[in-house]
Amino acid sequence: MAARKSTWEKITWTWQPASEREAGDSIVRNFLLHWFPAKVARESLSWGYSFWLGTVSAVLFLILTITGGVLMFLYVPSVERAYLSVKDLEFTVSFGWFLRGLHRIGAHLMVAFVFVHMVRVFLTGAYKNGTATQQNRPLNWVIGVVLLLATLLLSFTGYLLPWDQLAYWAITVGTNIASAAPVVGEAMRFILLGGNTIEQGTLIRFYVLHCFFLPLLVLALFSYHMWRVRKDGGLACVDKQALDQKREKVVPSKSKTYSLLGIASGASVHVETSLVDEVQHTVPSSPTLTRRLALVTMVTLALSSVLTLLFHAPLEAAANPAVTPNPAKAPWYFLWLQELVTITTFTVGGYTINGALIGGIIIPGLLVAAAIAWPYFDKSSVRSVGVWFAPERRKQNLIFLLVVAGILLFTIIGTYLRGPYWNWYWPWQSWPVMPRKF
Amino acid sequence: MKSKQSWLNARISNLRAKTETEQQRLERLKQEVLGEGEAASRPTRRSFLTRLGFGATLLALAGQAYAFLRSLKPNVLYEAPQRFKVGTPDQFGEGGKFLEDKRLFVFRQGKTFYAISASCTHLGCTVKMEKLNQPKKVKTRQREFEEQYEFHCPCHGSKYYGDGTNYAGPAPRPLDYFKLELAAEDGQLIVDMEQKVGQDFRLTV
Ligand code: FES
Repeated sequence: MAARKSTWEKITWTWQPASEREAGDSIVRNFLLHWFPAKVARESLSWGYSFWLGTVSAVLFLILTITGGVLMFLYVPSVERAYLSVKDLEFTVSFGWFLRGLHRIGAHLMVAFVFVHMVRVFLTGAYKNGTATQQNRPLNWVIGVVLLLATLLLSFTGYLLPWDQLAYWAITVGTNIASAAPVVGEAMRFILLGGNTIEQGTLIRFYVLHCFFLPLLVLALFSYHMWRVRKDGGLACVDKQALDQKREKVVPSKSKTYSLLGIASGASVHVETSLVDEVQHTVPSSPTLTRRLALVTMVTLALSSVLTLLFHAPLEAAANPAVTPNPAKAPWYFLWLQELVTITTFTVGGYTINGALIGGIIIPGLLVAAAIAWPYFDKSSVRSVGVWFAPERRKQNLIFLLVVAGILLFTIIGTYLRGPYWNWYWPWQSWPVMPRKF
Repeated sequence: MKSKQSWLNARISNLRAKTETEQQRLERLKQEVLGEGEAASRPTRRSFLTRLGFGATLLALAGQAYAFLRSLKPNVLYEAPQRFKVGTPDQFGEGGKFLEDKRLFVFRQGKTFYAISASCTHLGCTVKMEKLNQPKKVKTRQREFEEQYEFHCPCHGSKYYGDGTNYAGPAPRPLDYFKLELAAEDGQLIVDMEQKVGQDFRLTV
């Protein structure tokens, strides 16, 4: 590297290192690359293992942050003007429809991808610790669950902001579900609404949650989530690879130097190499990982932009407390909940329990609790870490997939089979022409 | 390989020895500065003041947190009153009238009046009043009557008879009835949405 570098090269060398040494250096020198190890296992870069679902979710969050920031210049969080300012976005602001559309599609995609990412992690048993020391993958799974909940809350608070019919009735139903919670329910609804009725106080509360507190939470947790991935020694498939190698009794390469930092705290001297054979199986993060990252980013951006052009963001009529649209449907990712609160009202000995408590609070609460507790009860061996559909975890995977299938089934029912008055209609049946509003 | 191993062992024990002295030093410093460890049983002025400082800080933070959270609960509400006039009795024709902005049905049967909430008891959507094509005989609350209309909810499909009794869907109880009064000064009907009354309530004028 004797040749002199141009200014451009000086700025970009970390992204296109010319030697192995520079590739290592770039990770240390470049702020953005600090999240990565100097070298990554080739295996963890494969498309077929992780599908890069987490990365896609993160990119979508970035898109949402940027479009959301721009939208904040244009949107007015007041009950008189919110709907009109969204209408202005649609019809008078240059590219306003695109901004709003991209923000909306991005949100839909993020819910979907975060969920599918979770499914992937479960099916590969990647929430379990492998053989390396200092791992805490169960914790990262729990953080992931919280991130999923935060994503759903972000969506919920987001679609309230246009203050159209969808917004108004979603907030009515949503906060009434909250008030069905025992003991604290009523107080919670009061705090959420900023009063007893849905008015200005409500809108501004959800606006601040949507634009400040929830994104802050996601940002903090996401950073920790990523940091933990590094602390855990990368993706779980690397643990699997290391295990396979140990079985083959591969002698670690001569060039390997052992860090002594981890030893002093242990009871005995025990040098464990959980690392994969670096020469054979790893590549420098820069540029291999960064290049793929750029590719995933570009594809995600392209995909969401194309979808934005294809599917125009709907805007319902302005909020009207007097008339509930018929049928009043939540966005697709909450339809399974809507179906649940519909079918879970029970009468026990003359006493009726509102479906809001069972379907709106208890069942989702149990699902979340089960998700959080699962890694701590999973007793499958370390050999099933980072393996798709490990035979040892067949039963677990089956249970998990059944729950997922149930959620999907309810979503499909809600989307296609429910018509006016939430009655059951087969796709080939046409909806009756509704009688006029009284 | 052998020599390398022994070198490693030597290096490690070296390091451990070092960390041990470090730890001892830390212990000594702790005792000196914070008065922890053995010396803690005999609090010094310094340790007392340290605790006082930490305690005060924690208390202050808790106070801040309380102030922040408490401010979220409104003390004054600028909401529309729950007790309001809806007009004189002769402004109501026979049958039901939907007062949109109040989400309320006011019914008149000859000389009697009653008011039913339009807010579904399941999760609060506004129910729609459906005129039946032909009157239906229903038996509810040990009574039989011929109903002309029903209430249906668009959100999760709850159904109510004309008297507000729920008979299908997830609604857990009948629609609310509100108290009706006549204003002494101008003879207008007053609805009080704070006061719920039984399904048999009727105001006769
Ligand atoms: S709100 Fe009326 S049925 Fe759920």
